[in-house]
Amino acid sequence: MAASGRHAGHYINKNSKSLLNHLDKLLGQRGFALSSVLRQQTATLQNDSTEAIVIPRKKTWGKEAVLEALASTVNRDPTAYHYQFQDDPYLTPRTSAESKLYSMSQESGRAAAKYFVDMYPKYFTKDFAEPHIPCLMPASVVLSLEEVSEEALKERIGLRKVGAAVEMYDQLVQAGTPISKQMTYDLLDLVCFYGDREPAQEGEPEADQPEASAEELRRKRGRFHRASDTLRGVWRENNNAERLFRLLPERDARCYSAVIRGMVKHGAFAKAFDMYTDMLNNRLTADVDIFNALILAVPEMREAYTEKVDFITELLNQMNQQKVQPNLQTFNHVLKVLRRCGALAKSISLQTLSEMKALGIAPSLASFNHLLAIFYKGGSAADYPTDILQELLSEIETTSFTCQDPEDVWFFSSAMKICLETKDMKLGYKVHSLVGVGDNWRLLGDSYQQGMFYYRFFSLLCLMEHVDVVLKWYHQLMPSLYYPNPQGMRDLLQALDTESRLELLPSIWKDVKTLGHDNKSDLVEELLSLMAREKHSPEVQESFADCALDIKAAFDVDRRKPSLEWSPLALGHVTTLLLRAGRIPQAWEMMQLFKSKNRIPSEALLEDFLSKCSGAPTTAVELVKLSAAFCLPATPQLAQRVLLECDLTEDQRTTLSELESSWDHNE
Amino acid sequence: MYRGLLRTARQCAFSLHQAGALPPKCDNAALPVFRLGRSVGIHPFNTSSTSYCENKENAPAPPQLKDKEDAQKDSASLAAPTDQAKVEMKAECEGTNLPDNAPPPPQAKDKEDAHRDGDSLATPTDQAKVEMAAECEGTDLPEQGETLLKTLLKTPLKTEEGNQQKTEERQPRVKTGKESLLDLLVAMKVDVTTSKKRSKGTKIPARHEPTVTPKPAAMESTHSMFQKATVEASIQCDAQPSVASGSLSPELVAAASAAAASLPDPSRAESELLQQLRQHEAEPEDHKRGEANNIGNIIADMKVGRPTPRQHARSSNTIHFDEDGRGYKKSLFERKRLGIFNPATDEESTDAAIAGPNLWDTEFANLLVRTANHMPRNGFEEMIQWTRDGKLWQYPIDNEIGLEEEAAVAFHEHIFLDRHLEEGFPRQGPVRHFMELVVAGLSRNHHLSVRQKTEHIDWYRTYFQEKEDVLKEAAAFLN
Repeated sequence: MAASGRHAGHYINKNSKSLLNHLDKLLGQRGFALSSVLRQQTATLQNDSTEAIVIPRKKTWGKEAVLEALASTVNRDPTAYHYQFQDDPYLTPRTSAESKLYSMSQESGRAAAKYFVDMYPKYFTKDFAEPHIPCLMPASVVLSLEEVSEEALKERIGLRKVGAAVEMYDQLVQAGTPISKQMTYDLLDLVCFYGDREPAQEGEPEADQPEASAEELRRKRGRFHRASDTLRGVWRENNNAERLFRLLPERDARCYSAVIRGMVKHGAFAKAFDMYTDMLNNRLTADVDIFNALILAVPEMREAYTEKVDFITELLNQMNQQKVQPNLQTFNHVLKVLRRCGALAKSISLQTLSEMKALGIAPSLASFNHLLAIFYKGGSAADYPTDILQELLSEIETTSFTCQDPEDVWFFSSAMKICLETKDMKLGYKVHSLVGVGDNWRLLGDSYQQGMFYYRFFSLLCLMEHVDVVLKWYHQLMPSLYYPNPQGMRDLLQALDTESRLELLPSIWKDVKTLGHDNKSDLVEELLSLMAREKHSPEVQESFADCALDIKAAFDVDRRKPSLEWSPLALGHVTTLLLRAGRIPQAWEMMQLFKSKNRIPSEALLEDFLSKCSGAPTTAVELVKLSAAFCLPATPQLAQRVLLECDLTEDQRTTLSELESSWDHNE
Repeated sequence: MYRGLLRTARQCAFSLHQAGALPPKCDNAALPVFRLGRSVGIHPFNTSSTSYCENKENAPAPPQLKDKEDAQKDSASLAAPTDQAKVEMKAECEGTNLPDNAPPPPQAKDKEDAHRDGDSLATPTDQAKVEMAAECEGTDLPEQGETLLKTLLKTPLKTEEGNQQKTEERQPRVKTGKESLLDLLVAMKVDVTTSKKRSKGTKIPARHEPTVTPKPAAMESTHSMFQKATVEASIQCDAQPSVASGSLSPELVAAASAAAASLPDPSRAESELLQQLRQHEAEPEDHKRGEANNIGNIIADMKVGRPTPRQHARSSNTIHFDEDGRGYKKSLFERKRLGIFNPATDEESTDAAIAGPNLWDTEFANLLVRTANHMPRNGFEEMIQWTRDGKLWQYPIDNEIGLEEEAAVAFHEHIFLDRHLEEGFPRQGPVRHFMELVVAGLSRNHHLSVRQKTEHIDWYRTYFQEKEDVLKEAAAFLN
């Protein structure tokens, strides 16, 4: 409460400032005729101020004001991990999966503690706190009232015991006890909200719901997963909600509202519309919640785009006829439905937005998200090249949003997606800076959406920006906000490649290892091929060789996680790198690996190797032997080369000649 | 614009009246005058002119009343379209004389009115802004008036509820042979939509009707007085001299009450009429303010960010875009709108807040809280969360938090506990001495509340009273 007041004050302050700015401009444009009026006013004001001293009223601060002021002084430390992981250095997450796991376990630990406190209040009777802290004491989750009374019904409704509440209500009705209207409303709300089912995981906070199915959630997390969540239940025919509703002595708009919303929530769309017609026949007018629910159900009722649009318009007209003022949800639902209306929706969605403006309803981020989805369908924005997003951003550049719609959190990632698709770096920066305004960061969504947002932003950077800028952002985002996924790292590698800054690859490898992507074979191979592609200065080759050895170690690491398989390419690259740094013994080990892994080295690699070991005839001979063992067609040439170039002993010469001849023989 | 229309309309009407008044014999002239008055009566504020005629006649005849009533209705019905639909009516006022130049009317009263009108016209007005000018050539020709009327009607008029009612009423009177009016009615009927009919049904009954007397004549006088008072008050508030053109002039009120008198339910009808009139009066007030060259008012309007006058919003937006260097490009919100809803009035928005939050609301709020990321980013934010949960001392630190009930207890009640020894204890002796020590100890004990301290003393009181016998034996209890 106090916070919102503060925000309001902040806005007023800000607005008045900008107003003054505008005023200055106005004055400049319009000349002295206006300013003389103004001056007169200011003159009178001055006269007044000398006479009366206004003592400002005492300001009462919210209890969080001091802390908020302090919190605003703390900036994000780009090198640090998120605050929630700072308690325990052991639990510092290095990958996005770990960070998710740790934060989930933290949450679930809290939830479990709360569960035990609530379930076994008899063990938690001691109240240490002075003054008393209610939220630390066990909350009652078990029914205590057993007798048949309205109080008991109230308790059951309060604890969301759907079945028990309905039972109690029936008993009360049978006993002829009068039940207050409010209680009936509450019961109907309860039954309709949960679709005549017990709420899932009764008695446990919702926080551990995602934990239970975290794996599943991650998989099915698509754009519409929330919609599918809300429509999860099924409205059963003649369930308790309908029965209660029919039993009611008088049905007013409030009861209809509960039932219709419940029907829409649980997927009984046609029924909801029937109920609505029924309500109109009883000469009742709907409230805004009914319309909000019905609008959401429109796409299920009509097939064709034009029909849907007409139906929505019809509903809105009915709203106006019944003198129902729409709210933000109404328009958000309209826009959401328009997303499923194809190209037809474009002009109407803009009109809807103007309507909101005309009615003084400030759109939330969800409205804008729907708008973007309407205009940028299927990844192509041919008709409206970033125009809409551009306009939108210039409108809301400095606006701080609060969460008003559950779908607000989709805005940022989808806006960034559009930036990425249209490859508009400027817009990308704008979207990113919008996140920094006020409390907008709260609307980035959960870790998945946040990851998507930063991944898209980072990919855009890699595509469009100079590599130094990319690296600057990389270091700013990397451990504290964003754990790049393999694709992100590959983008970074490509950026380094295009700018020929390959000498940075070893440090990138370190990050890859930290991020836990060292088991992604395609990423590792790409890294290796980039390193092995060209020859560099000796120092760089040296560091590359170290890196290659490190990568080799990653292949050999203990096999708990799904690990890498040596591919001939990767083996070849590592060997090449070692050869270029002149590390013959290690390179020779790599050649042995070829044999043990049953991979075949390329001829070019063997040639390279041979040219490096002209001073070490033994190794050269071994190499030819190895080549022969692989039955490579290049063996005779290799043998000849060794015979010509190296200073060999007699034995070695004979072996080589044998190898050469035997090969010819086989031919 | 509205005001401009109003003024020219008035001017036009007045000059029409003047033209009619020119013939020396008023009685002979009465017919053309009324015809003109009626036909031009489609204009909002023409009623004053008809009422002038009435004054001149000194004896309001029934047809005149009817006429006036019609004019009244028309004004009510037309006031809305003038500001809603952008009626682009072009009419010029030629060949008419301004009231000041007009030949002296036969009666002094009329002249006085003319001067008043002249005053209102003479006020410095931005004629350029007037998009609508009443065209009126050759004012003495009734045909001209009719054509004007027809042009007016051709424009899409969103007539309001009074319209339907009025047309029905008019039907009998039309028998007098006014073909032009028949045309008028046909044109109007076409424009009346079904939705208007419905809204007529839901009209709110007037609240400010004090009595329901069956006699319309009496009603008329009392109400005109009643309304006059309020109207005058509003006039005084308005500094502009052109107030005379304000719709709720006393004459208008009189006309309204007269009109209502002829209806089956006079009191209700009149209040409806007046309500309607006042509504339209309020709107031009807004516009007037917006047009006035007072930048202070503009600023005030901008600050409020009121959605109703749309030109304000637009102007603030263009400023915004100038700053951006984007010129006058249409912004995202300035496109055509659906045009389904009207901006909410205050009364409508309040009744939603009356009902307490139900399960749906709380669950929606919970969902929002869960969606928004509330993971604290630093220690202070975590402390904010704890403060909200009530787990943390509130800042600024106040060590009396949680001791609210103690705050009502004064200091002396804690310290001076001797007064509790007045009753039930001996005045001297060992028991008294003992109790004084107890009280001294209690007064320094900050762990106990005053209630607990008195309970403590009470316990001793009953204890010593129970043991009175023993104490007496030991001669310790001296009283």
